[in-house]
Amino acid sequence: MNETVTVRTQKIKSNHAKRRLCVFLVLTALLLLTALFSMQLAPYDPYAQNLEEAMQPPSVRHIMGTDQHGRDMFSRVLVGGRTSIFATLALVAVISVFGTCVGTLCGYYGGKLDSVIMRISDVCLAFPGLVFAMAVAALLGGGISNAVLALAVVSWPKYSRVARSQTLALKDGPFISAVRLAGSSSIQVVSRHILPNILGPILVTAMLDIGTMMMELAGLSFLGLGAVPPTAEWGNMMSTGRSMLQMYPWIVLSPGIGIFISVVLFNLLGDTVRDYLDPRNSRSR
Amino acid sequence: MKRMIVALLVLCMSASMLAGCGGGGNNAAADTGENGSTNETDAESSGDSGSSSSAKKTFVFGDTTFNAENEEPTVNPHEVYAGWACMRYGVGETLFRINDNMELDPWLAESYELVDDLTWKITMKDNVCFSNGKTCDAAAVKACLDHLIEVHDRARGDLMIDTIDSDGQTLMIKTSVPAPSLLNYLSEPYGCIIDMDAGITDEGIVVGTGPYVPVELVTDDHLNLVKNENYWDGPVHIDEITVRTISDGDTLALALQSGEIDAAYGMAYASYPLFENDNYTFSGTQTSRSFYCQMNYTSPVIQDDAVRKAVAMGINKEGFVNTLLNGYGYVATGAFPDSVAFGGSTLTTETYDPEGAMKVLEDAGWVDSDGDGIREKNGQKLEIRWLSYPSRQELPLLAESAQATLKDIGIQLNLNVTADHNSIATDQSAWDIYVGANVNSGLGDPTNFFSTHCLDASTKNRGSYHNDELEKLSVQLNSSFDQDERNQIAIQMQQQLLDDNAFVFCSFLRMSMISKSNVTGLTAHPCDFYELTAELDIN
Amino acid sequence: MQKYIVKRLLQLIPILLAITFLSFAMMRIAGSDAVEQKMENTGAVVSQEVVDAAREELGLDKPFLTQYFVWLGNLLRGDMGTSYISNKRVFSTFVSKLPATLLLAVTSILLTVVISIPLGILAAVKQNRFTDYLIRIASFLGNSMPNFFVALLLMYLFAIRLNVFPVIAEGTGLKSVAMPSLTLAIAMSAKYLRQIRATILDELSKDYVAGARARGVKFSVIMRKSVLKASLVTIITLLTLSVGSLLGGTAIVESIFMWDGVGKMAVDAISMRDYPIIQAYVMWMAIIYVVVNLITDLSYRFLDPRIRLGGMEL
Repeated sequence: MNETVTVRTQKIKSNHAKRRLCVFLVLTALLLLTALFSMQLAPYDPYAQNLEEAMQPPSVRHIMGTDQHGRDMFSRVLVGGRTSIFATLALVAVISVFGTCVGTLCGYYGGKLDSVIMRISDVCLAFPGLVFAMAVAALLGGGISNAVLALAVVSWPKYSRVARSQTLALKDGPFISAVRLAGSSSIQVVSRHILPNILGPILVTAMLDIGTMMMELAGLSFLGLGAVPPTAEWGNMMSTGRSMLQMYPWIVLSPGIGIFISVVLFNLLGDTVRDYLDPRNSRSR
Repeated sequence: MKRMIVALLVLCMSASMLAGCGGGGNNAAADTGENGSTNETDAESSGDSGSSSSAKKTFVFGDTTFNAENEEPTVNPHEVYAGWACMRYGVGETLFRINDNMELDPWLAESYELVDDLTWKITMKDNVCFSNGKTCDAAAVKACLDHLIEVHDRARGDLMIDTIDSDGQTLMIKTSVPAPSLLNYLSEPYGCIIDMDAGITDEGIVVGTGPYVPVELVTDDHLNLVKNENYWDGPVHIDEITVRTISDGDTLALALQSGEIDAAYGMAYASYPLFENDNYTFSGTQTSRSFYCQMNYTSPVIQDDAVRKAVAMGINKEGFVNTLLNGYGYVATGAFPDSVAFGGSTLTTETYDPEGAMKVLEDAGWVDSDGDGIREKNGQKLEIRWLSYPSRQELPLLAESAQATLKDIGIQLNLNVTADHNSIATDQSAWDIYVGANVNSGLGDPTNFFSTHCLDASTKNRGSYHNDELEKLSVQLNSSFDQDERNQIAIQMQQQLLDDNAFVFCSFLRMSMISKSNVTGLTAHPCDFYELTAELDIN
Repeated sequence: MQKYIVKRLLQLIPILLAITFLSFAMMRIAGSDAVEQKMENTGAVVSQEVVDAAREELGLDKPFLTQYFVWLGNLLRGDMGTSYISNKRVFSTFVSKLPATLLLAVTSILLTVVISIPLGILAAVKQNRFTDYLIRIASFLGNSMPNFFVALLLMYLFAIRLNVFPVIAEGTGLKSVAMPSLTLAIAMSAKYLRQIRATILDELSKDYVAGARARGVKFSVIMRKSVLKASLVTIITLLTLSVGSLLGGTAIVESIFMWDGVGKMAVDAISMRDYPIIQAYVMWMAIIYVVVNLITDLSYRFLDPRIRLGGMEL
């Protein structure tokens, strides 16, 4: 194949990926901004009850209807998004940052520290996520922050694994050897050269993890171990509204739509970031 | 071909979502479709029974309460609260039963006589026999009750039995102190008479005198019963009964809709409208299970009379019952329903009055000076910690409702609705108002509620409430054998609680059983004890 | 190879010790010991002497580590104590309910394989065409529905509308297992479909595929003989990882469908604070998970020639 043609198609592809990335970044930013300013955007107070208007189907006044306390569903979905999205983001951020740091250090220094921490992560990995989370939540009691903590304990090793293997692959490569020969300190090597290089895979894993984590938080809510009423939170709203599915479907479908949109958005963004960082992987064939 | 399979798989995956959308988009269509299918199952079952009258009649009952969590792991009445299951599913019967007016009627007993303050003479019916054919005479009852008070702490404490003697059909019970409520306590489900010679199996199966005989029991899963061929009190119509433990309310509703169960107990209120049509029958009645708030007198905020009064005025009992419970409940005034002789019809208490509540707080110096909607006094915010639990579906609804209505009058309610409520309640610094559910007069007798919840010696006086007058009245109540006098004392005691706003009684449970319309004889009783009886039939 | 297996088995020992220790410690941290807990559950008021006697009998007055080793010794004899609620032996209760959960797990994994692998391959082959988009949208849907919600939809569709499967699992027949395992399989398929698609795409982009095509080898033959084989390791890894989320997921699904397995047992136990049961559940689930991981790890070595040869050299 002619070399210039290859370069050119790659350029077109990367332009394409860039455009997609921009679109999804903007959409995600919109979602986050909506969540952040949900209190200001909500047409009604999400916690204000009006029993005379309970269980109303979607209408012009209440575009997603009302729940059994007569609260406006649209406002609750907006505000619930803030809780759900930020709880999930906080969870993913904590585990990815912590996991990456631990993994990178283990990979870079190796030795005793590495084997001890890796054994600890083995044990944490050994507990199936939700099972352990259930146990932790059972010990600590309900509440969204405990649910996040419980899931964090079991989820960080995944990141440390990814980070460690990436670091190991980089560490002995010619590039890092060169940097080291040039006299950089270990900290500099790790922070300037290794971390930026392994950030991609971590970021992608994190983005794709958001949907899963949101579901697991919802699952804990269902078991009564997640967010407690009246906190507007999507998983909790779905689980308390589930008995109304047949009679008043909007009560459970509205938060469902919220979850769907954010899962799709974060997944697509994750895919696009992966394609962008690794063009070879993307539009081939 | 491959394509077909794949297309099918994709379809399967999206089908579930489409079903949801269909339900959402076109509610009317969903309703007719669902009615159609229930008609079908009805036709099927009536076809079955019509084809041959000798065909076995089977009945499946779905229940959310028959489980170890509820302390009903088996049907052995001598174990925790398992007597409830024993009685509800027609396995055991008691000496006396509580009728719909919450008064005692003889059941296995023929009559009784109070010989002196300590001695009761009970005469047994002479045609009663256990399901294994053995006669249930006074000796059998003595053996059963002796075992009961030996192994069952709660029964021992309630009954205060000193000795039991039997002679033919006559049972002589001596109590250690005067016990005016003895017969009521004997009607508690733990008083189910079982054949001690037949014993109690490892699974917790017992031999009783009721219309149904337990044959198989798996805790938290199911109980299989068959007809008692030797039933002493008339014919039994159903040949086989399965009681299914279904802990999830939605599963229960769907199982009734699909026809897998014939009747259900413990349905979520939100599912009721699904069954408000000709294909199903509701049997409901007011019970004395009350949803109440108990004030914590050790908490400085609650010690303020105005705050307690404002809380009592700030809870929208009507809205709670009519909207959140779909009307399946009764607004409460006192501790007992209006229908009983010691009930609440003459009692007075605060009614829902947000304006009035605000004025009460205003006058007591609670004002919102910083404009955040919450009142303060001496720099302290009017925050109240509300402790409750989720296993009774009404309680979270009440909590959320109260949170909103109290916020309107400037009180911030911090909810803690947790399964761990019992251990938190013992730490008086951790809560201000405890909100729970209790069967206040299940036995047709007022003593129990006061002695467990309101007195200095009460185990469930969680907030250390104390009132001298109440203590005095309680002593009178416990020593009086005159029913009218007892009723009057009970009413005075309730008024005392309400005047202090030490308790706010929000509502009484309407116990509802929902059955397919071809089921007859399934009736709810105010005392909540009797469910499956010999009258039960499927047509 | 044998050496490797022995090495892996030896590595298992500290992990198992850690799992048991954690399970033990966690339930002790729960605050109250068995005696206190039991009193709280029965509501009985007992004198301090009775409490002390009961503590001594259960060995709760001994130091923490001693207690752990006593507990571990009992554990090895299959004694995990008795449930606070039912007073039955925890171990036998657990063992009697385990088969139902394993059955559910196995059928769910089989269903997941049947759903996700063909769809994943198809989506990869038809990349960026209508079929691909349809499959991916379905996967997003599956990914954004909590499994309790999927369960409700399935119940509504199959039990009420179509009346083919029962709402409540009755026994462990095919009809009963269908809906709970489908619920679990939908969530897992939705998740793994995307990854299988990506794996196949990755493999398809490799040079040898282009080479084979250039040599005129039929596409279906390349798929079958090379691409699928090469992707197998990744797919198996994914399925192994799914065992973890599956074991947790069964808990919710079991309690919705009234499936009498260990998951439902655990959910019930959590609401009752029945710590011995929770402890048994957490510990055994972890052990099962570790063993499953080990088995898959070993099975790679037979599947992937590169690793197999590498392993030989050990």
